[in-house]
Amino acid sequence: MAAKKLWRCNVCNDVHYGIRAPTVCPTCGAKNAFTLIDYPESMKVIIDRGDRLDQIDQLLKVWDEFAEGKPFRLNPDREFVRTLAKGELENQKNHGMKYCPCRITTGDFEEDLNLICPCNFFIQPVYKETGECWCGLFVRRE
Amino acid sequence: MAEPGNRLIFFWGRECPHCAKIHPTVNDVSAHLSKETGDGITELEVWHSEENAKLMRNYGDVLKKACGGSLGVPAFYNEKTKKALCGMTTTREQLLKWATE
Repeated sequence: MAAKKLWRCNVCNDVHYGIRAPTVCPTCGAKNAFTLIDYPESMKVIIDRGDRLDQIDQLLKVWDEFAEGKPFRLNPDREFVRTLAKGELENQKNHGMKYCPCRITTGDFEEDLNLICPCNFFIQPVYKETGECWCGLFVRRE
Repeated sequence: MAEPGNRLIFFWGRECPHCAKIHPTVNDVSAHLSKETGDGITELEVWHSEENAKLMRNYGDVLKKACGGSLGVPAFYNEKTKKALCGMTTTREQLLKWATE
């Protein structure tokens, strides 16, 4: 895959990270408005307003929304899900990312990006075989 | 307990629910093995111990295959035979076979 770059919408300052600029800005709808921006400048454009996803209930809401209208849903066992959320928050605190608590990092940054939850579990053999992602957070709808 | 290089290892994560579920089975098999051979299963937590995580990565090639492509827990590595098991569906019978063959 080609290297990803940072792009900025010159209408609303939306920042996009990808191999090409979006044709339509997903925030303001402007067409062909994205241009390259360098990393330090992009960090200044993205103002830290204190938004964090560091509470268990926040994660549960995000995951529920992620699964909405998809062929899978969040595991209905809420205690099980809360244990996973707790593990991810521990991993964020100790290892910098919300890595799956049922995986383990390799030390290779690029490879370990694949372990951030939700991972791309559709391609995993275990999802095809059992209908669950590796950790069981998401399960196929009946 | 067996010496390093000669151990039956259970790699687990503190916040992995599948590891918690399989723990009683591991304890049961470990107790059985201890009685039979004098050596049980060594439990190594990997998310809160970099030393244990490093050891798991050292056995990464074999463990990745057993885990379907990426390192995962619960996982089991036999240092003598270099054979591995991985995942929540691991049974007591599979563990006993893995430990004694």
